[in-house]
Amino acid sequence: MGVRIRLSRQTLAVLEALLVRPGEWHHGYSVSQQTGIPSGTLYPILMRLEKLHWLETEWEAAKTPGRPPRHLYRLTGAAREWARDELREAAARKFWKPAASGAGA
Amino acid sequence: MRPEELMPAYEGGPQVSAAARFARAMLGCALRYWPEDSRAWGTAMAAEIDEATNGFDAMWWSLGGLMFFARSVLSSTWAWLKLPAGSSLPGSGAGGVGGPLMPKRSRLFTAVVLAVAAVLLLLPEGREALRTVTASWLEYEMTSSDQRALDKLAARAEKEKDAGTLAFVALSPTPRHDSAHHSQQLERTAAMVERAVALDPSYIWVYGAKNHRHDYYPAQKEWVTRLEMADPDNAVPILIEADAYVEQKFATRYARNYPTEKDFENLGDDPQWTALMGRAYAAPKYDSYLQKHLQLMRAVWDRDPNLPPEIFLEGLWSHTIPDLRLLRTYAKVRLEGAEKAKVSGDFKQAEAVANGVAAFGARMMSSSGTVIEELIGVAISRMADKELAAIYTSEGKIAEAQAATAHSDELERSVRKRIGRDEAGRAERRRGIDREAALVQGCAILGGMSLLAAVVGVLFVELWPNTTRAQRGWWCRAMCFAADYGPSAVLIASGAFLICFRPFQKVLADFRVSSFQLDDEHRLTDAMWSLTFVPEHVLGMDSAVTFWSALTITLSAVVVAMVASGIYRARRVASRA
Repeated sequence: MGVRIRLSRQTLAVLEALLVRPGEWHHGYSVSQQTGIPSGTLYPILMRLEKLHWLETEWEAAKTPGRPPRHLYRLTGAAREWARDELREAAARKFWKPAASGAGA
Repeated sequence: MRPEELMPAYEGGPQVSAAARFARAMLGCALRYWPEDSRAWGTAMAAEIDEATNGFDAMWWSLGGLMFFARSVLSSTWAWLKLPAGSSLPGSGAGGVGGPLMPKRSRLFTAVVLAVAAVLLLLPEGREALRTVTASWLEYEMTSSDQRALDKLAARAEKEKDAGTLAFVALSPTPRHDSAHHSQQLERTAAMVERAVALDPSYIWVYGAKNHRHDYYPAQKEWVTRLEMADPDNAVPILIEADAYVEQKFATRYARNYPTEKDFENLGDDPQWTALMGRAYAAPKYDSYLQKHLQLMRAVWDRDPNLPPEIFLEGLWSHTIPDLRLLRTYAKVRLEGAEKAKVSGDFKQAEAVANGVAAFGARMMSSSGTVIEELIGVAISRMADKELAAIYTSEGKIAEAQAATAHSDELERSVRKRIGRDEAGRAERRRGIDREAALVQGCAILGGMSLLAAVVGVLFVELWPNTTRAQRGWWCRAMCFAADYGPSAVLIASGAFLICFRPFQKVLADFRVSSFQLDDEHRLTDAMWSLTFVPEHVLGMDSAVTFWSALTITLSAVVVAMVASGIYRARRVASRA
């Protein structure tokens, strides 16, 4: 990616969750459930990733009438490789332990 | 339709619990105030709340949302602060950033500069300077806020059983406009005096110093009696009684007009008054308690330096002394008696009377009281010396007559010399302190005007940014200039104000801690009065003269500038031709 930033354990967990099905769109609530990160921490991380252009976002059309549309997220193509590298490196440093699914490892 | 606009309309399905509805309402409320730059993220988070399977999860999600909201507000505020006044954050849909006239300095810079100025002025030195200069603009007149400060002081003193502070509060004058509560105030003061003396009998002198001869009420008669018993050698308690007697005697006349010279001359025929004055003149000591009052004032001020200066200055300048006119009147009465004794050939009696008067004058001179008491003492002594010289001459005692005349002349010379020296020193000191006072007031005015300009400029630019950006008029330029440079001017003026105030701070500090030198009192009085020079020219009787002078000077300067500019242009045109 060219830019290296210091990633927290929570950010690494979010990256790992987004890499489970990298081509698919993810909802914020499901990422929170998957990682155990509360909403107040998750959304600033997503916002930061989006600002760095590592995250694609999209508004999903409402499925129920009157219900607000939901926001969808997925890593950009370039960011997926970079995220895997970061997760591997963090695991090697023993800074972060991959979840059982082992998406990034 | 913007996605966030859908949020408040949807309240979930019919099976949604009350907790989930409440959590949703909280987020909906936060969304209304969410900063523009991250509102989409808030909306995205709020849209997920319906995924929560139970009320607890919904509440937990909502609490996280509120944390995110707080974080977004802080981050947005920080970004907003880093922009100049009148600018708005990108995407907020209002105004924009910058403009040819718009301020260049960030809001953060403005806030920090004003905060530093505020901190400087909130330091103890700054507060003292502000208090003193503000009081000088009110001519050190006591206000109701001073009365409240005194009331608090009295309450604390009562709680701590502090006799000195109670005595100080009792001796402090009341605000002039508070005449409606005058009798109540007198009663409260009387109670405070009694309490102070009861707590510490050494403060019995307050009975004498708290001497309102116009309001001589029964309690004071009792006080004077007690004071005479406690301080039997002092002439002053007896003089207070004599003053009160004359006050009551002339009461009907005072109601119509002031008593005439004849009324005073006739006092010599009043046996009650002459008996009282005779006792006072024979008393071996004259002490109007000025030194004790000053000592008390310094002790209280040193303990509470944050008290308003006018409380002390009014107290200092309103210290009551016996009626000096009556003292001179009695001296004349006594010396007329000596003259009569001389004419009747009773030289011994004449000498005794004149010597008694001279001795009283000498006691007044050396009493360390006020300057006016010293001068009256000198005048009485000289009157007595002249009479003594006449008596000795009639007796044929030429050497004694010459000695009395020489003593009288010497007295006059020494007093004139000392007062002249003191006055010359004071005049020189006053010139110096007047310059410093003008600088202090100049900085205060500059600071006040800069603050006003900065506040008006910033508010104008913030409230009407688009108008300011679109206009190019002189007033728009002035507003932007004021918003940009006003805060720095406030800081510079505040710093200069504090530096210029340092000599006055020293005078105040010296007065509070020094021993009881009259010179310190003069220094304080001179310094404080010098600060009123500028306010008098701005607000007082000289304000009209100052205004027209300033206007004349300004218009003259404009005319000179116009003429110079005309000449310059004419020369340029001529040289081109």
